[in-house]
Amino acid sequence: MKIKKVKIKNFKCYYGEFVLELSDGMNILVGNNEAGKSTILEAIHLALTGLLNGRQIKNELTQYLFNNTAVTEYLTNLEQGRNPELPYILIEIYLSGGDIELFEGNGNSERAKESGVSLKIAFDEKFQREYEQLVSKDGVKTLPIEYYDLVWSSFARETITPRSIPLNSAMIDSSSNRYQNGSDIYISRIVRENLEPEDIVDISQAHRKMRDNFMSSESIKSINEKIQQSAVLTGKKVELSVELLSKNAWENSLVTYLDAVPFHFVGKGEQCIVKTELALSHKKTKEAAVILVEEPENHLSHTKLNQFISKIAENQQDKQIIISTHSSFVANKLGLSNLILLNDKKAIRLNDLEDDTKSFFQKIAGYDTLRLILCKKAILVEGDSDELVVQKAYMLENDGKLPIQNEIDVISVGTSFLRFLEIAELLNKPVVVVTDNDGDIDAVNRKYSEYLGKNDKANIKICFDNAVDEGSLMIGKNPFNYNTLEPKLLKANKLDKLNAIFGSTYVNDNEMHKFMKSNKTECALKIFETENPIVFPEYILEAIKCWI
Amino acid sequence: MLDIKSNKLVIAAAGSGKTTFLVNEALRQREGKVLITTFTQGNEAEIRKKFVELNGCVPSHVTIQTWFSTLLQHGIRPYQGGLYDETIRGMLLVNEPSALRYIIKKTGFKVYYGEADYFSKHYFTDDSKVYSDKISKLVVRCNERSNGAVIERLNKIFTHIFIDEIQDLAGYDLEILKLLLKSKSNILFVGDPRQVTYLTHIERKYDRYKEGRIKEFIQTECRRVSCEIDEDTLNVSHRNNAMICDYSSKLYSQYKPCQSNQHEVTGHDGIYLVRKQDVDLYLQRYNPVQLRDSIRETINKNYKSINFGESKGLTFDRVLIYPTQPFIRWINNNNFELPPTSCSKLYVALTRAKYSVGIIYDYDEATNLEGLQKFFV
Repeated sequence: MKIKKVKIKNFKCYYGEFVLELSDGMNILVGNNEAGKSTILEAIHLALTGLLNGRQIKNELTQYLFNNTAVTEYLTNLEQGRNPELPYILIEIYLSGGDIELFEGNGNSERAKESGVSLKIAFDEKFQREYEQLVSKDGVKTLPIEYYDLVWSSFARETITPRSIPLNSAMIDSSSNRYQNGSDIYISRIVRENLEPEDIVDISQAHRKMRDNFMSSESIKSINEKIQQSAVLTGKKVELSVELLSKNAWENSLVTYLDAVPFHFVGKGEQCIVKTELALSHKKTKEAAVILVEEPENHLSHTKLNQFISKIAENQQDKQIIISTHSSFVANKLGLSNLILLNDKKAIRLNDLEDDTKSFFQKIAGYDTLRLILCKKAILVEGDSDELVVQKAYMLENDGKLPIQNEIDVISVGTSFLRFLEIAELLNKPVVVVTDNDGDIDAVNRKYSEYLGKNDKANIKICFDNAVDEGSLMIGKNPFNYNTLEPKLLKANKLDKLNAIFGSTYVNDNEMHKFMKSNKTECALKIFETENPIVFPEYILEAIKCWI
Repeated sequence: MLDIKSNKLVIAAAGSGKTTFLVNEALRQREGKVLITTFTQGNEAEIRKKFVELNGCVPSHVTIQTWFSTLLQHGIRPYQGGLYDETIRGMLLVNEPSALRYIIKKTGFKVYYGEADYFSKHYFTDDSKVYSDKISKLVVRCNERSNGAVIERLNKIFTHIFIDEIQDLAGYDLEILKLLLKSKSNILFVGDPRQVTYLTHIERKYDRYKEGRIKEFIQTECRRVSCEIDEDTLNVSHRNNAMICDYSSKLYSQYKPCQSNQHEVTGHDGIYLVRKQDVDLYLQRYNPVQLRDSIRETINKNYKSINFGESKGLTFDRVLIYPTQPFIRWINNNNFELPPTSCSKLYVALTRAKYSVGIIYDYDEATNLEGLQKFFV
């Protein structure tokens, strides 16, 4: 049994409906902070266990579970005298695989023949009259959460309990949710789920025996006698005993130890690794498991992270893993084809890209892809020298601030502009391309025809010099290319200024052209570091202004 | 019963160990899942008890559920979407046709909410409870609407579906039975057509097959589906002695006479006519349970008594029957055609006792009825 799709509506940062399709094995959620990665994990875990932060959600309904925009919209509409529908939270888990027939039905938002689980936090109709009264008295200032109810059911419209869900979900995150005695809820669950029913019977009996031993020990007996002598008020028997009331009393009084150290005293990173290991080694193979891992890089050193990732990759077997990260290392190690990019509450899988683009990104280390995904805005340039020059230009226009300080990433992409633009288009990511015209305006227009003129995209700008410069300089047998960054810089600043910046003494433009061509990076560095005033070609300034 | 789909109707005689048979069949299934469904909660409890007796507990591959709760959980809720999108809050048990719209005063003619124009009023109360007489009709609709997904889903969950008390199925229940017979699951249905009492339906569909004509239904309406009809396995009574078996079999000449496997001799065995004046003495001497049609019948309050309808499924050593007028007419002349309800009531009453059945009847010296003895003081 696997999760094939998750649908989230009005839960936390998700306004309206959000759909995420998952693959059977590894799923890596990548996105910036606030992109909603953790919310997805929380939602899945909630719908499968009824737990949010380790506590039963049905006792902890609050307005803050709801999407802010949805609530505000409702309140504004109400204020303006309209009769808006009360917002509701819906989380649907669509399942695939075996043993899911009991969950089959059309009790889902698509009214489709599917198997799955639905968790809905919605207004309870039986409070209709109270609510109407509240509205007529103008008394609704916040979401009337006291009239809300949790409906947890299968797609066959059968009310469910955590026990009736055959899909175990283990959440591995940095938060620690503990029982009163300090033992971790998840770890006890994982340990418990590893046990066969007979083992559980054995444990509770051993626990009972321990209690009996305790009660029959001489010291306790004499203490109880003492208490009885002093407790004369009610005439009832007062004595010390061990709690045995709850069904799983042993769970509350047993603590998991790790090398003789109680689990919650072990370091966070180690906790994370142990939890994952236990979840992966789940014995009951029949019971499917989904393992949710939240940003493992947060509390693991690089070596530990490496260890952790290899463990996951090796032992995954038939388990479904959903992992959120912003580490390119994690993403790379676990396979880029499993990447799900989250941006602006939209999910894009690397699988959605054109085949050759996909294989391109699979070959290059995922680093630059992630940069594009994680930044707010990007400027794409061809090489390192272009990158330095654009950074410098940006600094001069922005009181010395680097673009990255304003969440603008300048990325050198070589000749792969179009591949990056394909991702940018999917992600709706604001991107400016700074490119040379190489003396052929028509060719540039053709190359970027998908993004220019009538195909203009709001989030994608292509900047290049509209003037084609010419000259007679030859480099060997080939004519010099007057239409790249360096000649354009010379054109804008003239020979003397550049000589001053480079500390050089070239007597004519051609000498300077040759020098710059063969020392691109060095020149770019000098420009980047100079205190002298410098003029940038118009198309670079245009690119920078797009994002100011 | 391995991989080949099988359908089987077993006609059971009273006291033949129907419940034991069903439970053993369910325990025999090592693979797959079994659903056992029956009409009354009483019988459901009876089946559970039998599992505990024979197996210690109900094994995890067996689900026991009443017919109504099965229909609600697996028949309606999964695929109600598109037909009715409210949450269904259970069922309302009705004894007469539901969804009354109004009565024409002059004629007393009743007008009902029709399905086509008033879908939700036809099936549901205002607080979203489904009427008990419409529940199986709604299942058929859900199945139609979902292109058969309802039955397919059941097939995927349960490899074997056992239906007990089959004689009480009527109207659209029979349509569901037909769909199940055609489906992939193995269907075993058991019942005694002689013991119809529970009328769930006032529905006109398949009207001809009410009053326990389940065998005819299978032979006529389901003739294209293969279904074995077994009238032998459960035709032996472990409860009634031969005299009781022989006499009660006369009520239903269309079925094979029931055999007896109860050979104990007590000195007062068989069927006795008891004069009114001897009733108290008879009660004192043999301590039989008094069986009556309803509480309107006066009985001796010092001895145990029970209505015919409630005695179904129970076993007593001895009984004393307070007969109704139609009973008397049939006792006088076995060719008299008893109305179906009376017939099944008398059959139930006769087949409760292991050793002796007393019938209150003022005989005289001339009385000479086959199979009946006279109680003398």
